[in-house]
Amino acid sequence: MARPRPPVYRVKDRYRLHIGDDELVLIRRLLDELRELLLSDADGTAPTSAMLTRLFPVAHPDDPELEDEYQRLMRVELVASKLKAIEAVEAVIDASATSIDEAQLTAFMQSINSIRLVLGTLLDVTDDPDAEVVTEHDDTAEYQLYGYLSWLLEWTVRAFSDE
Amino acid sequence: MPTTLNPVEVKDPDLDEKTAEDRPWVVIVWNDPINLMSYVTLVLQKLFGYSLEKATELMLDVHEKGRAVVANGTHEQAEMHVFRLHEHGLWATMEHDA
Repeated sequence: MARPRPPVYRVKDRYRLHIGDDELVLIRRLLDELRELLLSDADGTAPTSAMLTRLFPVAHPDDPELEDEYQRLMRVELVASKLKAIEAVEAVIDASATSIDEAQLTAFMQSINSIRLVLGTLLDVTDDPDAEVVTEHDDTAEYQLYGYLSWLLEWTVRAFSDE
Repeated sequence: MPTTLNPVEVKDPDLDEKTAEDRPWVVIVWNDPINLMSYVTLVLQKLFGYSLEKATELMLDVHEKGRAVVANGTHEQAEMHVFRLHEHGLWATMEHDA
């Protein structure tokens, strides 16, 4: 019996995406929501939610002055970087591309992980990340989605690690 | 009248008199329950060029001890490392080397 093809795998110097249309629509929608969240406090001045805090961690926990400087200099850059990654993945999805390069796969990996960070924070995930994910809570759609994204990310990491 | 000058003690400005700014900085990655262990390992390889063995060792330190120093350097270098780790969603901070 043939093994099912993984959702992401390496072929020579490029990477193949083998993701169903329904899943791509879902990822596209999640990217929209991620963009909206990123733009809700792009300059770091609005009251910060736990989800945003997780996307923009503190760099200098013991020095408020240096932390202000870091946020002032880097926050906008970080938002721009994450938005650029989202756009790269959207372009891949919109073009129905199944063969992508390393930069596109990096954008895919970063964006999927950003969504996981937001969702995991929302769900208050505290389990060992490599244990059987969400076995106690897998009856909710959010946990199933978190599990799906974890599975997708794991295969993306494997694709990168393939020699 | 002496024809030679008496030796003058010249104090070396470095060593014990380094200012806080001169001291190197370390970049720390902290454990978090969301990032996959395999993902953390890959990011450390990708950003710092570590071997799989070295990156895995650091990832296990993060996972088991709660934190690991993954890089060091000047303030500017450390800040760039932290930024790139934040780009990849890792929980990273920087502080003066003890």
